[in-house]
Amino acid sequence: MARPRRKAAKSPPAALTVVVMRLYIAAGSTNSVKAVANLDAICREYLKEGYELEIVDVIKYPLRAVTDGVLVTPSLAKLSPAPTARVAGNLSDKSSLLLALGIKAPVK
Amino acid sequence: MDGEANFRDMIRRFAQSAHALQAFDAGEVDAVVDPSTGSAILLGGPQSPDVATRNKAERALQQSNRFARASLDRLATYICVLDSAGTVIMTNKAWRAFAANEGMGAGVPEGANYLEACDNARGQERLDGLAIAAGIRRVIAGEYELFRYQYARASPQGRCGFAFSVRGFPGEGAVSILISHESAAEPEHAHPQPTPRLPAGSRAPVSNRLLSALSRDGYQRLLGAGLEPVSLSCGDVLFEPGEAIRHVHFPQECVVSLLMPIGGHPATEVGLVGREGVVGFPVALWISALPVRALVQGAGSAMRMASAHFRKQLQENPQLQRELHRYSHALMTQVMQTSACHHFHALEQRLARKLLMTRERVLSDEFHLTHESLADMLGVRRAGVTLAACALQRAQLIAYSRGNIRILDPKGLEAAACSCYTPLKDT
Repeated sequence: MARPRRKAAKSPPAALTVVVMRLYIAAGSTNSVKAVANLDAICREYLKEGYELEIVDVIKYPLRAVTDGVLVTPSLAKLSPAPTARVAGNLSDKSSLLLALGIKAPVK
Repeated sequence: MDGEANFRDMIRRFAQSAHALQAFDAGEVDAVVDPSTGSAILLGGPQSPDVATRNKAERALQQSNRFARASLDRLATYICVLDSAGTVIMTNKAWRAFAANEGMGAGVPEGANYLEACDNARGQERLDGLAIAAGIRRVIAGEYELFRYQYARASPQGRCGFAFSVRGFPGEGAVSILISHESAAEPEHAHPQPTPRLPAGSRAPVSNRLLSALSRDGYQRLLGAGLEPVSLSCGDVLFEPGEAIRHVHFPQECVVSLLMPIGGHPATEVGLVGREGVVGFPVALWISALPVRALVQGAGSAMRMASAHFRKQLQENPQLQRELHRYSHALMTQVMQTSACHHFHALEQRLARKLLMTRERVLSDEFHLTHESLADMLGVRRAGVTLAACALQRAQLIAYSRGNIRILDPKGLEAAACSCYTPLKDT
C-alpha cells in the first residue's frame, strides 16, 4: 500500500478548513477495504477538496501504528483541526463518523 | 476461543478508548498491533475466515451486480431480464423509459410477471402479446435458443417498427431470459408497395411483407388457423429436394437459400427468400414438393403454417391469394435473372449482388456467411470466393473476417454489383 495515498487539498481557498486524517488499515482485509470505501464516500460528499488523508498499512509499517498508539485496524485518526478524534471499525456508522470529524454538531 | 480471548484481553490492556474494543466485538477489526512486540497480527485465522471469505464474496457479488446494472443502463437498447417463471428480475433505464410511454408489456415493473402481462394484453397489443408470450415460453422450455419477433405500432410520428429478441442463458439453477428490444426500420414504411392498401392502423403487426400486406382480420384468421412463430438457426433445412413440404415458412428476419443440387456437384443457389416472401409457395399451386433444398443461411424468426391448413386458408382468403400470386411472379423473376447472371457475369459482381440481396433481407449491414456457403451458393470453388471477397475488401466496400461480413459502403457495392441487382432489388 502506497503512502501517502491521497493528498487532495493542493491549494484550498483560504477560508476552507482542511481536515487532516490518517487511516490505519491492514491492506486487502475486508473491514479495511470497507473503511476506505466508507471514508471515501464521506469525503466526497461532505469535504470535497477540503481534506488530507494518509493511509497507513500497519502490516507494512507496524511501528508507525505503535508510535501513534493505534491498536486495531481499521482505525481513523482525525489529527486537525482540534479536537482530535479516533474511530475504530469499518466506518459503516455514518453519523458517529461525521460526529468524530466535526462535520456534524453533537445533538444537545 | 483462546486466541480471540487473548486479543480481547490485549486490546483492553492497551486501549485508550472504548472504540477499539467495541469495533473488535462487532467483528470490524482486521488486524491487531501488539505494542510490546511492535508487530501487527492479522485476524484471518482465529476470527473465522469463513465469515471474511463470505463477506468478500458477497461484496464482489454486490459490486458485479451494481456494475451489471450500471452497464445495462448505459445501453440504448431496451433490456429486461426474466427468471424461468417469467418474473421481471431486472430492467435497464432505456426499458423503463420506453415502457412508460409505449411498447409491449408497457409498465411491467420489476417483480411482476411479464408473461401474464403479455397474455393479458388488449387491443392493438393483443396479437403481439400472444406471439411473444408463446416465444418466451419456448425459450424457457429450452426449445429455442433465440426467439426474434418484429412488430409495428402506430404512433403520432407515424408507424414505428420494433425488433424484439429473447435469449435464454443459464442462471443459478434455472434458466434466465434476456429480452432486448429496439426500434427497427419499419419495412412497409421503407418500401411502399403499389397496390391499394388499408389504413395503416389496421395492418397485421409482422415484418414479413406478405403477412403484413394482409388486413388485421386476415392475419388474425391465419393465427387462428395455426400460423405460429418459429426460430430458425443457421443450417436448418426446411425441406430437401423431392421431399413433401410440410410447412410453409414466412421469414421475418431469417434468410433462406433455395439450393439446387445437380449430379455430383455441390448445390447451387437458385433463389433467396427473406422477409419479402414465403418458403414453400408451390403448396399454393397444389404441388407438394420442389427439386430444391431450402437451407437457412441467416438465423432469425419466421412464421410457419402446416401446408394443409395453408391451402385451406388460401381458398378462403382472396387477399392472401393475391399477395402470393404477386410473390410467385417476383420469385420467378429472381430465378430467371440469377440463372442468366450465372452465365454472363463475373464472380466479383455476383458476389456483390449476393451480399446486397442478403443485406436487404436481414435489414442489417452485418451478417454471417462462410466462404464455403458462399462458394456453394455462387456455384464456384472456395478459392474463387476468397479472391472475389479480397477484391471487394481491398476496394473498402466490405470487411470480412471469419465469415462475418460487414458492408462498409452499400452504394459502392451496388456500383460493383452486376446489372442484375437493380431489377432484383426488393423482389
